[in-house]
Amino acid sequence: MRSSLARHGTVAAGILAAATVALAGCSSSSSSSGASSSSAGSNQVVHLTITDWDNGMPAVVSAWNKSHPDIQVQLIKPTGTGYTLYNKLITDNRAGTNPDISEIEYQALPEMIANKVVIPLNQYLPSLSSTYPQAALDLVQFQGSTYGVPQNICPMVFFYRTDVFKKLGLQPPTTWAQYASDAAKIHKANPKEYLGNFDAADPEWFAGLAQQAGANWWTASGNTWTVAINDAATQKVANYWQGLVNGGVISPEPSWSTQWMTDMNKGNLVGWISAQWAPNQFPTIAPSTSGQWTAAALPAWTAGDKTVGTWGGEAEVVTTSSKHPKQAAEFVQWMNSSQQGLNLLIKNVDVFPAATFAQSSPELQTPPPFMSGQAGYNSLMASIATGVRNFQIWGPDASVTFSSYSDAFASALQNHSSFLGALSTVQSTTLNDMKHAGFQVTG
Amino acid sequence: MAVAGRRKHSSKLPVLFVAPALLLLALFTFAPAIYAFYLSLMKSHVSGGLLGTSTEQVFAGASNYANTFSDPQFWSSLERMLLVAVIGIPVTVFLATLFALCLDANGARLTTVSRLALFLPYAVPGVIASLLWGFLYLPATSPIGGGVIDYFGNRTIFFTVANVAVWGVIGFNTVVLYTALRALPPDICRAAEVDGASELQIALRIKLPQIAPAISMISLFSLINALQLFNEPTALKPLTNAITSTWVPLMRVYSDSFVNNDIYGGAASAFTLLVMTVAVTVAGGAAATRLTRRQSS
Repeated sequence: MRSSLARHGTVAAGILAAATVALAGCSSSSSSSGASSSSAGSNQVVHLTITDWDNGMPAVVSAWNKSHPDIQVQLIKPTGTGYTLYNKLITDNRAGTNPDISEIEYQALPEMIANKVVIPLNQYLPSLSSTYPQAALDLVQFQGSTYGVPQNICPMVFFYRTDVFKKLGLQPPTTWAQYASDAAKIHKANPKEYLGNFDAADPEWFAGLAQQAGANWWTASGNTWTVAINDAATQKVANYWQGLVNGGVISPEPSWSTQWMTDMNKGNLVGWISAQWAPNQFPTIAPSTSGQWTAAALPAWTAGDKTVGTWGGEAEVVTTSSKHPKQAAEFVQWMNSSQQGLNLLIKNVDVFPAATFAQSSPELQTPPPFMSGQAGYNSLMASIATGVRNFQIWGPDASVTFSSYSDAFASALQNHSSFLGALSTVQSTTLNDMKHAGFQVTG
Repeated sequence: MAVAGRRKHSSKLPVLFVAPALLLLALFTFAPAIYAFYLSLMKSHVSGGLLGTSTEQVFAGASNYANTFSDPQFWSSLERMLLVAVIGIPVTVFLATLFALCLDANGARLTTVSRLALFLPYAVPGVIASLLWGFLYLPATSPIGGGVIDYFGNRTIFFTVANVAVWGVIGFNTVVLYTALRALPPDICRAAEVDGASELQIALRIKLPQIAPAISMISLFSLINALQLFNEPTALKPLTNAITSTWVPLMRVYSDSFVNNDIYGGAASAFTLLVMTVAVTVAGGAAATRLTRRQSS
């Protein structure tokens, strides 16, 4: 009896020991996948980590590593893009395990600053005012501090199927009125075809359209915010699209779903209101239509007006978790404002640089591979970029606004209800969240 | 000597065996729950500067709970979850019982293959199953009439989501009931056969009442699972406008905590859901016990 009890005891102890080892194994592997920047050893090589979701980044990072043996950078492709990544950065910031450098889209930067995820870079960077236009600097500078280095400008662009327009004898629309009538013509000629879709899944898409119409969803004076998401300009845009959706000439499906990608690939969607980065994403969306699209300036509200909004565009930032901010800032500056770094980005990531001197690079003479049928793609981008208009500032809780937009407009599309009602839901949700968090808000 | 020694040993050993499980339960279930409750009483307050140069965690009392309960979306999400449960649970229990009884019937053929086929969906991870079903539903890729039937309509969405959930768990519940049937003493069934009862009568009058405890157990498990509905709507959400980010309570918890960066509101919603789930479990368990006691008496 006693001997079998002893055996039971040994077995139990053995299981406990194995479990402990397994748990220790799990915890050590998770800590090593975090920031490894504390491993600067006696050979004085500084190790940095960068997280970036763009295709083609490995080439950029390995070029730096070859020419900078004392600062080695490791690229980590994040598990999510956009707000999935930003919320992970906010959460991991509390634990101090963020990578040294991250890509942050312009609309998310104020929220990152408000959550203390990023550090000001004034002490590590030279003055950026000779490299960038003021419009680009306004996106990364707040109350005297610079929080990131701008990488690119992503003006919104209209893409259309060259063959479909040719068959129907249509010219790319230059005004929104013309866009509406083209949409009706295309859908009438073939009820399966749509000129585009109203995208409830991409709040930044709608924000870009509102920017073009003259909206300012957030304005700041001193320390006080004003929120005006349902201002007159935005209502004009909402009403316009409501008319198209109600008339059945624009598809209500969300972008980036399998259904939408199949429609783009099969030619059920013959136009896409997108942005400069579209050729970088097209191969994933509609690979069999390579070379069949033409890019044109976005339609305007009045003929000849070159104002256009942006969708996306990012800066690289240094996070609070970084143990080597000086070296991280050096890398960020090289990548986004040096000729060599920008050439690599243009070539591998199809970037259109925000830095003024780089907008006439020889690298931009060749179009992105997907737009092989349009040799002048990048010079079109350069001319469109001159008319870019942004909001005065993005809000400190833009993620709440965007999440509310997706829910409110998805419901409006699903239930055929008013877009204006959805807009005021977004407005009140944003306002209440800012007040609840303690920001000073008027109205 | 043996009796006294045994009693002394047996008073320590069970505690020792249970201790690791209790430790894990305390560390990974109770401690996080207590911390979540603590967080739900806090909120983040920004002070100073346009972009909040100082943010601190302050005591919020019950304001997070007040926000949750006064939000009409919270109650709508509860309604939607209950609607999916009302569709899904009876179907699960009915089909699992039906399949188990069929597998156990005398003339049943190919039982091993059928059991495997029924169990296979359970082995598919929930997210992958939802994505695959999404492809089956979308008009562009649907082989089951997605171009004609709108699987993502306002009414049909509940059946759509319930279908994916039911498909995944039928196999597991069938196996549980089949095992219970296999454990029944064969004498009563043989006696009934001798008396001239048909297969159907044996199934309904003899087998079914005897596996009533197992049926009530799988019903309770299905109910607890239904309260935690999350995988299916989340995986289907990018495919359609019909599912919002707060479609069911658990999605609301996720959305509050990890999209809206309001971990305190998320903790309040999560704790509310926890209390409701525990209440339903206790009530369901009590009802099941009463049913079993009435059955065996």
